[in-house]
Amino acid sequence: MSNRIQDKKREVILDSITEGVFTVDSDWRITSFNRAAEEITGIPRTKVLGQKCSDILRADVCETQCALRETMETSKPIINKAVHILDARGEQHAIAISTALLKDESGKIIGGVETFRDMSLVEELRKEIEGRWSCEDIISQNHRMHRLFSVLPNIAESDCTVLIESESGTGKELLARAIHNLSFRKDKPFVAVSCGALPDTLLESELFGYKAGAFTDAKKDKPGRFAIAQGGTIFLDEIGDISAAVQVRLLRVLQERTYEPLGAVSSVNAEVRVITATNKKLDELVEQGQFREDLYYRINVMKLELPLLRDRKDDIPLLVNHFISRFNRLRSKNISCVTDEVLAILLAYDYPGNVRELENIIEHCFVLCQAEIIEKKHLPASVCPSSSVDKVKTGEITTLKQMEILLIIEALRRNKGNQTATSKELGINKSTLFRKLKAHDIKPDAYT
Amino acid sequence: MKIAIPVWNNCVSSAFDFAHRLLLVDIQDGSEMNRSEISLDPEPISQRAIRLKTLGIDVLICGAISRSLASLVEASGIKVLPYVLGPADEILKAYLIGQLGQSKFAMPCSWPGARKGFRRERRCRRGRQ
Repeated sequence: MSNRIQDKKREVILDSITEGVFTVDSDWRITSFNRAAEEITGIPRTKVLGQKCSDILRADVCETQCALRETMETSKPIINKAVHILDARGEQHAIAISTALLKDESGKIIGGVETFRDMSLVEELRKEIEGRWSCEDIISQNHRMHRLFSVLPNIAESDCTVLIESESGTGKELLARAIHNLSFRKDKPFVAVSCGALPDTLLESELFGYKAGAFTDAKKDKPGRFAIAQGGTIFLDEIGDISAAVQVRLLRVLQERTYEPLGAVSSVNAEVRVITATNKKLDELVEQGQFREDLYYRINVMKLELPLLRDRKDDIPLLVNHFISRFNRLRSKNISCVTDEVLAILLAYDYPGNVRELENIIEHCFVLCQAEIIEKKHLPASVCPSSSVDKVKTGEITTLKQMEILLIIEALRRNKGNQTATSKELGINKSTLFRKLKAHDIKPDAYT
Repeated sequence: MKIAIPVWNNCVSSAFDFAHRLLLVDIQDGSEMNRSEISLDPEPISQRAIRLKTLGIDVLICGAISRSLASLVEASGIKVLPYVLGPADEILKAYLIGQLGQSKFAMPCSWPGARKGFRRERRCRRGRQ
């Protein structure tokens, strides 16, 4: 009886601490697993008791540098060893583990105990500061994205110039960083320059630097971004916005691999990989004479196109969960999910600002949501579709035909493009719906 | 057909993302023809996926696997049968006789949709009969 009370007490104490704790017997089978361990690994204790610890923790050290094994063999505890585990959500987590021996009354070793802390926040902040992003950090289950990821190592290895063409907010810089971090230049600097943010004259001195006396107030030498990126990668964002003069200078860097800082009398070698990105169609700019054709061919050795978020809506639930976990860590909140209604609204939205806009939407919800679940009322008004009644009231819809089109579109959205369900909801025959879709040129596939 | 199983101490490695050894088995007409073992270096997941493709693998049977790596491997046209545990020989035998889906080989707590390959496997086998 007293043993049972003792066990219960121990369980309460273990469950009240924020560090994950589990114990193993001499055969590496788990004998106890506390609440924090369940949260960090995502695995309930009912499923782990009696299992081998390596099958549950799934850590990178299990096979070669098991901390518990080392402690059992040397009788020395290990403190705060940094390891990575795979949790039940299929994501890698950084944790810090400590180990100790378990002994019975006679001093005989009967197993070991491992405690671990979730280091995801620290890891995320470290990545943010160091810019060490990789493919693993681009959240996607979309086949187009995975086709892209599968060619990245080859592209990274080739050291060729890369052009990333896609709309704003799709993750062009993240992709450029992933290429840099996969390449042999990964230990050298990655320098990002937003060409559109700087006026023409400033951009030139920013990219190539200047010598003292090059112009009034140039009192000492200033290295340009190309010099800072020497040996590494320079990422030129919004390349479509640069002036004709900068285009000529950039062309020379790419052709000759040399450049002259403003006011310099000799050339400087540019041992730098160039990755460019734009949200414009560069070939159209070339046709319109706004972008040099020779420069276009120089930077367009390897063109990558990042799909828009509206074209990879299968990623939205995954991204929503990712942003919820991220903001939970950054803002110390405990929001678990969004309601089905919110997810349906998020799936129906078009995202002109792509992934960045979705991130901002979730951040907006985090400010307003004080409970555990994000509801429709927490969403920004711009995301929520206004009802047809509202549109009639505000005078946006004036004809019966417009009303009909809107009702059909809204019903298609709610039913994810399913025509049978839509016709049922609208109380019309499927063939009537089909006729109306054709008459109003509505494509149901656009709402799947 | 070439099957790859990440192994550790003759058992399926607990996480493919961190595995160090890979067992390669050539199968012809349902029987094992040849087997070899290679070592895997710690590498980014995209390179691990490319490695499998270069090795000409058709099926990967493994323990836990991250979502990203599973999708990358599948995108290379390799069938993934994950969250499997037990001795590698038993697992291989079970796969060859279509018994790999048994609960005794299932690792606890996989992410939703991770074991969809097993559903397809069952459907295909049912379709063939």
